[in-house]
Amino acid sequence: MNPKIPKLQQQQKQEAVEQTGQLRTAREFASVEEMLRDDAAQTSPPPRLAHRVAESIAKEPKPERSWWQRLFSRRSADL
Amino acid sequence: MAKPVEVESSFVSDNARQAEALSVSASTPVADGPPSAGDQPKWASPEFGAIYEEHSRQIYYVALRFLGDPTQAEDATHDVFLKAYRKLGEFRGESAMRTWLYRITINHCRNVLQTWHQRNMVSNADDSLWETAVAAAESPLRVLEIKELGQRIQQTLDGLPPEYRLLLLLVADQQMSYKEIATLTEQSPDAVRGKLHRARKAFIAQFQKFT
Repeated sequence: MNPKIPKLQQQQKQEAVEQTGQLRTAREFASVEEMLRDDAAQTSPPPRLAHRVAESIAKEPKPERSWWQRLFSRRSADL
Repeated sequence: MAKPVEVESSFVSDNARQAEALSVSASTPVADGPPSAGDQPKWASPEFGAIYEEHSRQIYYVALRFLGDPTQAEDATHDVFLKAYRKLGEFRGESAMRTWLYRITINHCRNVLQTWHQRNMVSNADDSLWETAVAAAESPLRVLEIKELGQRIQQTLDGLPPEYRLLLLLVADQQMSYKEIATLTEQSPDAVRGKLHRARKAFIAQFQKFT
């Protein structure tokens, strides 16, 4: 993980607030991003979607490991 | 830098490589009968189920607001996770899982928008969008407030160029830095910063039209 990312994201947040002013609705939002985050928090995928995905995956052929995973598992076994 | 993953082409062949964590029987039966609200899906791969649980809400949200249609967003989210499952063996962890899923989502949604059906389909967003979106514990007034705000946000986003819409949706995810967004959208971080500045202004101007 890049340790600079939290600082960068703090800068992003500051820029967003400075450029936006305040968005007034029934609630006030400090930035467009804050409004979208609130909207995202209120929006859930339909519960049936998880079942659809799980059913589709169950129909998939048994997955194979990639060459690098086989390599690393062999090395681990050798140690 | 994240290794680009091509997901535009048709689904991978039967001998597609998958992650070691997923090498469990894919024929494990899933939930019997139609799901009810309290049912948990039975994942053939619990590890992939955990990936779904962690990222599905945000992937669905981006698909919903980018496409503007809950039915298409549901289908897109399904297809994104299915593609991710098939391609997981090629995911080497050089980027975050969220970033990788966004790449698949963006490519998929762009394809959807380009299809003939998209240009001719009648949206049923108003009818079904909020049926499952708002927590049952919310007061009726709050539910109405959330519904109206969501519709206003969707109308606002629909009025923006797709690139602005996408950049705003990505930057609203606190896990995403300008650098990661730049990589995802194949431009420099400075270009992202400049376009976001204009996108915010455009969003506010558009949003105020729906007051």
